[in-house]
Amino acid sequence: MYRIRFHGRGGQGMKTAGRILGTSFFLEGFDVQDAPRYGAERRGAPIFAYVRASRSVIQERGVIRRPSLVVVADDTLAGLPEADVLGGQSADTVMAILSDVPEGTWRSRLNLDSPIVCIPRPDAIKGYAGQAMAGVCCAAVAARLCGSIPKSTLARAVREELGFLAPSVLERSLSEASRMFDSLAPYEAVVRDRPDREFSCDNPPGWVELFHDAAAVAAPVIFGGLTSRLLKTGMWRTFRPVIDTARCRRCWWLCSSFCPDSAIHVGDDGIPAIDYEHCKGCLVCVARCPVHAISAVPESRGVRQENGEEAV
Amino acid sequence: MSESGMQYRGMEDFPSTRLFGSGTPMCAGCGGLLVIHQLYDLLGSDTVFINAAGCMTLLSVYPYTPFRGSWLYTAMASAPAGAQGVRDALDILLESDRLRREENLEVVVLTGDGAAYGMGLSATSGALDRGLDFIYLCYDNEGYGNTGQQYSPATPHGAATSTSRGNGGFRGNKKDLFSLWAAHNPPYAATVSASEPLDLARKVEKLRSLRGPRMLLAFSPCPTGWGFEPAQSVMIGNLAVQTGIWPLKEFIGGKVEHTVLPEKRLPVEEYLKRQGRFAHLFASSAGRDIIAELQGAVDRYWEGVR
Amino acid sequence: MKRLLLTGNGAAAWGARLAKAEYIPAFPITPQTEIIENLAAWIDSSEMPGRLVTLESEHSMMTAAGGAAAAGVRVFSATSSQGLLYAMEMLYTVAGWRVPFVLVNVSRALSAPITLEPDHNDVFAARDSGFIQIHCSTCQEVVDAVLLAYRLAEHPDIRLPVMVNLDGFYLSFTREPVTLPDQQGAAEFVGGFDPLGMAFRAGAPLSQAVAVLGGSQYSYFRYQQHLASLQALDVYDDLEREFFGRFGRSHPAVEAYRTDEAEMVFLMTGSFATKAGNAVDALRESGIRAGLVRPRLLRPFPVRRLRQVLRGVRGIAVIDQNLSVGKGGILYTELASALYGQENAPVLLSFIGGLGGRDISGEEFIGIARVTIDAIRSGSVPEPRLLYTADELRHIRKLQAIASVQQENHCRNHE
Repeated sequence: MYRIRFHGRGGQGMKTAGRILGTSFFLEGFDVQDAPRYGAERRGAPIFAYVRASRSVIQERGVIRRPSLVVVADDTLAGLPEADVLGGQSADTVMAILSDVPEGTWRSRLNLDSPIVCIPRPDAIKGYAGQAMAGVCCAAVAARLCGSIPKSTLARAVREELGFLAPSVLERSLSEASRMFDSLAPYEAVVRDRPDREFSCDNPPGWVELFHDAAAVAAPVIFGGLTSRLLKTGMWRTFRPVIDTARCRRCWWLCSSFCPDSAIHVGDDGIPAIDYEHCKGCLVCVARCPVHAISAVPESRGVRQENGEEAV
Repeated sequence: MSESGMQYRGMEDFPSTRLFGSGTPMCAGCGGLLVIHQLYDLLGSDTVFINAAGCMTLLSVYPYTPFRGSWLYTAMASAPAGAQGVRDALDILLESDRLRREENLEVVVLTGDGAAYGMGLSATSGALDRGLDFIYLCYDNEGYGNTGQQYSPATPHGAATSTSRGNGGFRGNKKDLFSLWAAHNPPYAATVSASEPLDLARKVEKLRSLRGPRMLLAFSPCPTGWGFEPAQSVMIGNLAVQTGIWPLKEFIGGKVEHTVLPEKRLPVEEYLKRQGRFAHLFASSAGRDIIAELQGAVDRYWEGVR
Repeated sequence: MKRLLLTGNGAAAWGARLAKAEYIPAFPITPQTEIIENLAAWIDSSEMPGRLVTLESEHSMMTAAGGAAAAGVRVFSATSSQGLLYAMEMLYTVAGWRVPFVLVNVSRALSAPITLEPDHNDVFAARDSGFIQIHCSTCQEVVDAVLLAYRLAEHPDIRLPVMVNLDGFYLSFTREPVTLPDQQGAAEFVGGFDPLGMAFRAGAPLSQAVAVLGGSQYSYFRYQQHLASLQALDVYDDLEREFFGRFGRSHPAVEAYRTDEAEMVFLMTGSFATKAGNAVDALRESGIRAGLVRPRLLRPFPVRRLRQVLRGVRGIAVIDQNLSVGKGGILYTELASALYGQENAPVLLSFIGGLGGRDISGEEFIGIARVTIDAIRSGSVPEPRLLYTADELRHIRKLQAIASVQQENHCRNHE
């Protein structure tokens, strides 16, 4: 069985990736499951979709616990515990990352011995508007790496899944898929069709007796306020707003009042500061600042600037 | 009400502290969340928010809450009834000296348009009948947003939604919830837009000086459901006001007053063309007719004002 | 203590008054309405402190009840039949909030066809909601059960809403002698309401009834409701003993009437159980060792108690005044699961009777007992039976003729 997980952000077409790949396998006669995994998270938040494909009937259900291939659409997710990109990774799990950072760097950053395929990010997905194209690219990556899907089948699947789009967008999707597929010829079939099970007959399930707790403990009640701050929604960003304090007129209220996420605070000096732990990167502040003192920077560059690896 | 007694003369009078917590799972650029935080900054934490099912159900997901004050999640149809129970209980506790005056809370219903315009209308009308002392905030994102933007009774004519993808978009017309409230003759009802925070703050100030059922119907642009970039969320609000599509008004003392009179209204196209949900209207002559219809409706509305 | 004639509805209202319920969200529905009318009259005449608010539906009524309990006051409410089902979403919801209050349900059969008289499908529809359920068979039990219900609901190990059930008409509108506990004794027994720190006030932020994401968290909260409900079994026994010590009346979780040496027993809930008791006396006189077993607690289901009481019994006739369409009697299924695999388990017979308030005659109880004894002796258990007579069938045929129903070739008759 092939077990493929696509990791990306809401809005990057991970569900589409799963559907294109699922349809591709289906067209090749495989039994298939594909599904997106939704939570409370919204656009920009880490999400994933998964595909199972097998020559025999699939009886597994739910999220893939031991992937044979993990495709990461957004390399800023790779190091995020919340995204759980590494979940269930084993020695023969292939990790494919759309990233301009070289493979060796990922190998040491993620501390992985298993195969890593680093794929330079196509230009088509770099801008804000192109994000949805990431899903198409990821489907092509998976199709090539699994090796059981001819390019013509992939194209047919893209047409089936994206046929509702405007013809120009569909054509662009097809050409991106084709280009990605062609560029990965050296990696044809690096992912194995494994006959294994996802569970072991030897591991006990680890059950525990659930005892009765007093009502004040067992009610779905939060005793206190503001605990949502523990959720670092800053990880949703693909672009970050950066304030040029030299340009800021210290009007102190505008960007802060209009930030939907209460993530801009104004100090006593009148200079606003962005709480990057929580800013979701909606860029409303960039659009609202009357003196254009806030600009949008791709998140990966913002991180490098923050770490002093790149000049602001 | 004279302007002189008011606290919010200009934006510089605004609260500078953000009281509402970050870290909620709302979409980036959420117009509903924006209006909630603007309101919360003004009301403060001596509040209990009674939530109806909708996008904002997910404001508090165990064990995380953005509220400094309190919250109770109810169901889609009956948040105003939950507010009734909580308000009555607080009054009983106050009367029996089990709650000190300074421990009292303002009860605020938080509802989307899906609940407010439809399933929750009976409970809302009931609370109005009973003169319940509460604030009612409807973040109107013009569709069942949390389930993926299907059309609701708040969806504007012609808009494409997940359940109105056909050529003409949504065939119905947006229900006039403001007038439904006004028909109950409440102490206060107003439309607001977070893109006009000063107008919003003045209205909040007014409603705080009153008791009984008080509504804020908030225009809440939804980047996800309406099809625009999150960064444009506030601009969409500005355009809704400037085109006259979203009149800013209040019902007070039995009369409707417009608080913002757009001097020269922009054509509705300026508003429509920036949203994916109206894109189909620009692609056919039938769509152009719908745009003309929408413009006509807005013109007729404003002819009736003054 | 004072002894007077009270309807079941009157007894329910007295229960709320004696328990010092402070807040009563209400909505009228037959046959419950008299309860809220009584309470409204007492509040209007200042005989009873409290606040009664009529909501615009039972769904809203239940939401207000939950909201007020969540805010820390003692709440009472009442409904019936369609009203209970209209509130069904909120029954599960407020139980999940873990808020304590008491809801009286006056049983009435469910639409369609719409009707007025009782059976237990309404209260059984709420079986899995998380509400604790106490089923009454006399007006006396109703007032006593309401007092017990507040103690159960507000117990710090339980904190779940409690439903007290009585039959429409047969109890709700029927006056019987009832001994009312004195106000002071009742108030001492029930005590004050301690919200356990879960109430709304400024300066103490509290988010109640929050969402969870993921089955793991949901499993914890849902199962804790179950564990809390199970706690009510032992707590009820203690409370019932305390109640007996104070008021001299005993209401065990499972009532056992003449079950000593019983060969067969009737097993049922509700007001018709007293008629079964009458039949038991007659059967005993004729030498048949019959008895009656009546679970008062339906949720939590008193499995251990039932097994104890039924030990040695050879045959049980379960009389269900309800019907799970496509399955049969609900109580029968519940009991079967409680007794399955027990050593020397008795034979179980299922009878459906009293739907929509249809009477169950004394002759029928005797007939049920005879069929049960035959089954014990022969070892052959008959199919479930609806209690329905040839006269009744003839009557419905007449009505169908008036309704111009074409009967020929479309129905099987016995003639």
